[in-house]
Amino acid sequence: SESRAEPETGASNIVSTVNLGCPLDLKFIALQARNAEYNPKVGVYVHKIREPRTTALIFSSGKMVCTGAKSEEQSRLAARKYARVVQKLGFPARFLDFKIQNMVASCDVCFPIRLEGLVLTHQQFSSYEPELFPGLIYRMVKPRIVLLIFVSGKVVLTGNQVQHTHTHAQ
Amino acid sequence: MSRCEDGKNEKRENQVSVWICEATEKQQRRRDGLALPKVQCPNHPDAILVEDYRAGDMICPCCGLVVGDRVIDVGSEWRTFSNEKALKDPSRVGDAQNPLLNGGDLTTMISKGTGAASFDEFGNSKYQNRRTMSSSDRAMLNAFKEISTMADRINLPRNIVDRTNNLFKQVYEQKSLKGRANDAIASACLYIACRQEGVPRTFKEICAVSRISKKEIGRCFKLILKALETSVDLITTGDFMSRFCSNLGLPKQVQMAATFIARKAVELDLVPGRSPISVAAAAIYMASQASAEKKTQKEIGDIAGVADVTIRQSYRLIYPRAAELFPPDFKFDTPVDKLPQL
Repeated sequence: SESRAEPETGASNIVSTVNLGCPLDLKFIALQARNAEYNPKVGVYVHKIREPRTTALIFSSGKMVCTGAKSEEQSRLAARKYARVVQKLGFPARFLDFKIQNMVASCDVCFPIRLEGLVLTHQQFSSYEPELFPGLIYRMVKPRIVLLIFVSGKVVLTGNQVQHTHTHAQ
Repeated sequence: MSRCEDGKNEKRENQVSVWICEATEKQQRRRDGLALPKVQCPNHPDAILVEDYRAGDMICPCCGLVVGDRVIDVGSEWRTFSNEKALKDPSRVGDAQNPLLNGGDLTTMISKGTGAASFDEFGNSKYQNRRTMSSSDRAMLNAFKEISTMADRINLPRNIVDRTNNLFKQVYEQKSLKGRANDAIASACLYIACRQEGVPRTFKEICAVSRISKKEIGRCFKLILKALETSVDLITTGDFMSRFCSNLGLPKQVQMAATFIARKAVELDLVPGRSPISVAAAAIYMASQASAEKKTQKEIGDIAGVADVTIRQSYRLIYPRAAELFPPDFKFDTPVDKLPQL
C-alpha cells in the first residue's frame, strides 16, 4: 500500500539516568520535599514534579532515573531540577553521567497495514502472533529499535537512544 | 586392532598370522574411512545384500551367492508372552534404546536382592542404590514423560510427539533457556511442533493440558524461536475448522461453509486485526445459524476458547456482507436476512 498522507511523529516518553554523586538520606528528602513519596520496600523514593511533567526515582546511593519527559532537552532540564531540589536540602549533589536510556515515540502512517504480508517478506525481523498480541513486533537491526506495528497504521518505536525519525515503507 | 611386528614375513609358520595381520590392517584402513567393514558380493559390488536371519546368511540378490555366513542373529532371545509368570523376564537385553534422544544409556543397575543376606536388621534391603540411572539426562527424560502425557490428553499423533522431543532436546542442549521451567519449555515445544506439522493448536488448548500459564508459554515460545533460529508459519482460520466443527458435531456442509466464510472475510479484510481464532468462531456461528444445526455463541466460545463477546464483535463485522460470504452452493435452512443480528 502506498503512503498518501505525511506520517506524524512525536516522542512520547524518554527515560534517562543520572548520577548525583553523593549518597542521600531518602527519608529526610521524602519528608522535606514536596510531591515526594518514600517506598521502603523497594528502597527508593518517587518524586513527581509538574513542570515539565516528569517522575523521578531516586536511590539512596545517589543515582536517579527520570521518566516521562517528552524530549531530551526536557529530560535534562527535569533532571537538573531534581538535582537542584536535592541540593537545596543540603546534599552536595552534582550532575554526573546524564545518559538517555530509552526513547519511545509513536507515529501514524495513516493507512491500514497488512501485517501478514509484512511478516512474509520480513520473516527474520518480524514476530507476529495474533493470539499473543495484536501488533506485529519488528526488530530493526541497523538503528537498533523495536517497532510495534498495528493494523490501524499506528506505529510505536522504542529502544533507541538517539532521536531518530523515519518513515516506514512497506 | 593390534598391529603385528614386521620381520615375520619369511617364516612359513607365521604366514597365517601375516595374512590375518594384513586383513586387519585393511579393515583398519577401511575403518578409518567407513564405519563398518564392508562385505560385498565379488561379482556385484554395488548390490545391497539381503539378510536371511534364519540361516544367518547375507545373500546377494543378483546372483544368489552367499557372501557372509554365521552372521549373529539380532532378534530376541526368548519369546515373551503376557501371562501370569511375568516376574521372571528371561530377556537379557532390556528395553529398546532411544538413541536419537538420549546420550546412549549403557549404565548398569543393581536389582533387588533375593535371599536373606541382602536385608539388614530392620528389613530394609542392604543395597538400595538403583536409582541413579542417567543423572545427566534425568531432567530430559522427565520432560519427555511430561510431553507424552500432555500429548496424550489431546490425542496428538506420534509424529508430533517425536518432533516435540527433538525440539526439546535441541533447546536443552543449547542451554540458552536453562533458567526456565522445563514444563514451560516442553509446552512451548509442543506448540511449535503442532505448528510445524501444519495442525496448529491454540495457546489456550496447550494451556488446558499444561500447568503453565499462557503468558509463560508465549514467552518461552518466542525465546525458543530465537534460540533455534527457526520461524513458524502464520496461523489461518482454516487450520482450526475441522477440529472445532467436529467437536461441536456440525455436519460437513456447515464446516465447509464456515471455512469458506472465514476465508472470504479475511480476503475482503472485513475483520482487520482480529485473531484468526475469533474470526473462525464467528464464521462457525454464522454458518451454524444458517443451517439446521444452530449452535449458541456460548457453545462455540467454549470449544474455541474465545469469549462470547469476542464472537459477537467479530460477527458484527462480518454480518453486513453475509450474503457474499456464503459459498454459492450452500443450502440455507435460515435465509440470510433472517440471520440473528447482535
